[in-house]
Amino acid sequence: MFRFLVQRVLYGALTLWVVTTATFLLIQAAPGGPAILADPKLGPVERHAIEVRLGLDQPLGIRYLTWHRNVARGDFGRSFLYQTPAIDTIRGRLPNTVLLTGLALVAALGFAMPLAVAVGRRPGGWLDRSLAAINFTTLAIPAFWFGIVLILLVAARWRLLPAGGMSTPGLEDDMVDRLRHLVLPVLVLALPLASEVFRYARSGVIAGRRAPHLTPARARGLRERGVEWRHVVRNTLVSLLTVVGLQVPLLVGGAAVTETVFSWPGMGRLGVEAALGRDYPMVMAITVIVAVTVVGANLLIDLLYGLADPRVRLA
Amino acid sequence: MTPWRATRRGLPWLLFAVQSIACGRPGVGGAGATLRLALINDPIMNPVLASELGSILINKVIFPGLLRPDSAGKPAPDLALSWEITPDQRRYTFHLRPNVVWHDGTPFRAEDVKFTFDQILDPKSGSLLWSDFSVIDQVEVADSLTVRFELKAPFAPFLTLLGHNAGIAPAHAFTGRAMLDATDFNRTKPIGTGPFQVSSAVSGSSITLSANPRYYGPAPKLARVVFKIVPSQNAQVAQLRAGELDLVTIEPGQLAQLAGDSSVKVSQVSVPQHYYVGFNQQLPLFKPAVLRRALGMAVDRQALIDGVLKGSADFPTGTIPRASQGFFADELPPLQYDTTKALALFAEAGWRRGSGGRLQNAKGEPLRLTLLVDKGNPTREQAAVAIQQDFKRVGVDLTIRAMEFASMVRDYIQTKRYEAYLIWWNTPSDPDQYGYYGTGQANNDVSYSNRRADSLLRAGRATNDVAARKRAYAAFQALELEDPPVLVLFYPREIQARSARLRGVPPLGIRDALRWVEQFELAPE
Repeated sequence: MFRFLVQRVLYGALTLWVVTTATFLLIQAAPGGPAILADPKLGPVERHAIEVRLGLDQPLGIRYLTWHRNVARGDFGRSFLYQTPAIDTIRGRLPNTVLLTGLALVAALGFAMPLAVAVGRRPGGWLDRSLAAINFTTLAIPAFWFGIVLILLVAARWRLLPAGGMSTPGLEDDMVDRLRHLVLPVLVLALPLASEVFRYARSGVIAGRRAPHLTPARARGLRERGVEWRHVVRNTLVSLLTVVGLQVPLLVGGAAVTETVFSWPGMGRLGVEAALGRDYPMVMAITVIVAVTVVGANLLIDLLYGLADPRVRLA
Repeated sequence: MTPWRATRRGLPWLLFAVQSIACGRPGVGGAGATLRLALINDPIMNPVLASELGSILINKVIFPGLLRPDSAGKPAPDLALSWEITPDQRRYTFHLRPNVVWHDGTPFRAEDVKFTFDQILDPKSGSLLWSDFSVIDQVEVADSLTVRFELKAPFAPFLTLLGHNAGIAPAHAFTGRAMLDATDFNRTKPIGTGPFQVSSAVSGSSITLSANPRYYGPAPKLARVVFKIVPSQNAQVAQLRAGELDLVTIEPGQLAQLAGDSSVKVSQVSVPQHYYVGFNQQLPLFKPAVLRRALGMAVDRQALIDGVLKGSADFPTGTIPRASQGFFADELPPLQYDTTKALALFAEAGWRRGSGGRLQNAKGEPLRLTLLVDKGNPTREQAAVAIQQDFKRVGVDLTIRAMEFASMVRDYIQTKRYEAYLIWWNTPSDPDQYGYYGTGQANNDVSYSNRRADSLLRAGRATNDVAARKRAYAAFQALELEDPPVLVLFYPREIQARSARLRGVPPLGIRDALRWVEQFELAPE
């Protein structure tokens, strides 16, 4: 167990180094360079002053080493776009994203699990077939389209819910107002997630119901519902952990499209803006934060496999 | 209970929950009305450092300048009540408005004006206004309400530029620290002299401004102005229709969405912009004026305006747009679409139709060029396709290359590694274009060079005499028909979509209209 942990932590550190170095090189190599320099109106004098200020007049190697030295001191640099420390902006946005994607994940599990169990009882039945059709639809609908349609119907036509943002300006502390702002983006994010979870859970449940160890359980007099939730669902947990684990980057990295459509100040929008604007310090800071979280979460999920499936031994 | 029944039983509860949080929209309108505008990102609330449109817009509300544009775009008094200009047109003396205070209560003085321009003229400060004002030699404080500008040379656009983006910043907020380091000021607690002052800023979400009770002008008719961060333009339109925004600028392609919505009013405003195709005149191919004229006549610009822009643009003559303070040469007949004449001009330039109707030169080489356009803006991408089709009709083989705007500007235009590109200039309303089309000037990205154009453009900026300027710019526009610096496609009109309740917005582009925000009014619902 201890050896396993040490090994995985070392692998994680290596992954982190590879990811940050690759990101550093890729973003620097991306065409155009920092957007702040791309204003065609800028004369040579302003452009040179900006380059010196941002340290872009330094050779790439020096910049790479400087970045490492600064990160070691906990300094992720000042965002080119925001002109404030990159980490401050991330600190503001990360909770927003975790709230949105976390709720979407919970909602997706809440939708998908009971349905998967119900379908598992009669695979190929009417419920299964209609859900398969819905499933394809929800996976195929692009979020930007679905989001705008929802806004136009629910917010613009029926005026039931707000069209975007996290809260009404001035009502930041109002819980109800915040909940109202969450409904639509959570729905848009949760539907495709639910479809994905449902597909895994459904096959898990169907396979699980055929497992031979259910017979003794039934023989012990366990009722069918008990059999389903205690044995069948637990069996599908391993594959579900994989699906959920795959969503961790989304959980911290955010969902750029949904966040943009709903004007949600999260990590996804921040990341896309930083990448498009070639905001080098911001891109690097986001990369580090997301990479650390993903590597950590993967480690955690590996440990959880052991709990969900006694056959998995960590060694 | 089976799980399916469980969900069925849960459904009414869920509906109830949605309903109960769906009710209770906060009321808007009335005397204490809140105007809601959109930005696409967190702005930098500092007029010297502001780099993109969103920052420029909010700064117009917070930081008045010495002057502001009137409804014709001409400079009118704001923080400066009056001014004198010496006969050599090199010294401007401004008499400042008395009894003006900053949002924190500190009196506004001439020293603040000097401080602002000293920062602007020091590129190390992070200023992005240096090239607008590099003509300033020095700024002197004569007394606490009088400030003098010494110019290196006469410069006619000076007053217009003072009313454009040059808001005045408070010297006392930056004692002992650089503007760039004043993060609290630039991001959350700016101090200006404008009709609204920032009362709260929620990063990534919104900035709320409340009416300034000490504002020097007429009391604002709104209680609050909220700038909401709405990055997607489609979402902005949706929020406008949902009654969550009151004024947005839209693309021609979005007009159809708003047709028939009685709560929204759409208007079009001429703005000083020209969209054009630039040809790289460092290349021998584009040096002959006759070829550039031929290319211009080969494009059906009226069809482009009607089709791609849904009519939201004016037909162009030269590079000086209609919204240029009366300097647009109305009497000049612009070049019209005429493929026969275009082909004659192509022939004059040595290009004749060969096999398959393609234009080719004496060596049999086809007339082939690549047009760069920025990716993601449907209006510009569709315009590029329209030009491609028009060129094909006369036998010019045009390839379109769409790329990110920054890459187009930095990797191709500024390094002169291009044949043609589609772009636009946003200019102040002054007609001066020496920086764009004068030989060897910083913004002359097409490398246009015409000695007569140089002397006309220099003459136009060197005198404040309006009649003399009119003559110079009329002659320049006539010259442009003979030797076009660029292929001007259209002068766009800004399409403003706003709540039907919003009144008092002057007929100016949003950038200039926001200088008059104290007159904006929202009728009760």
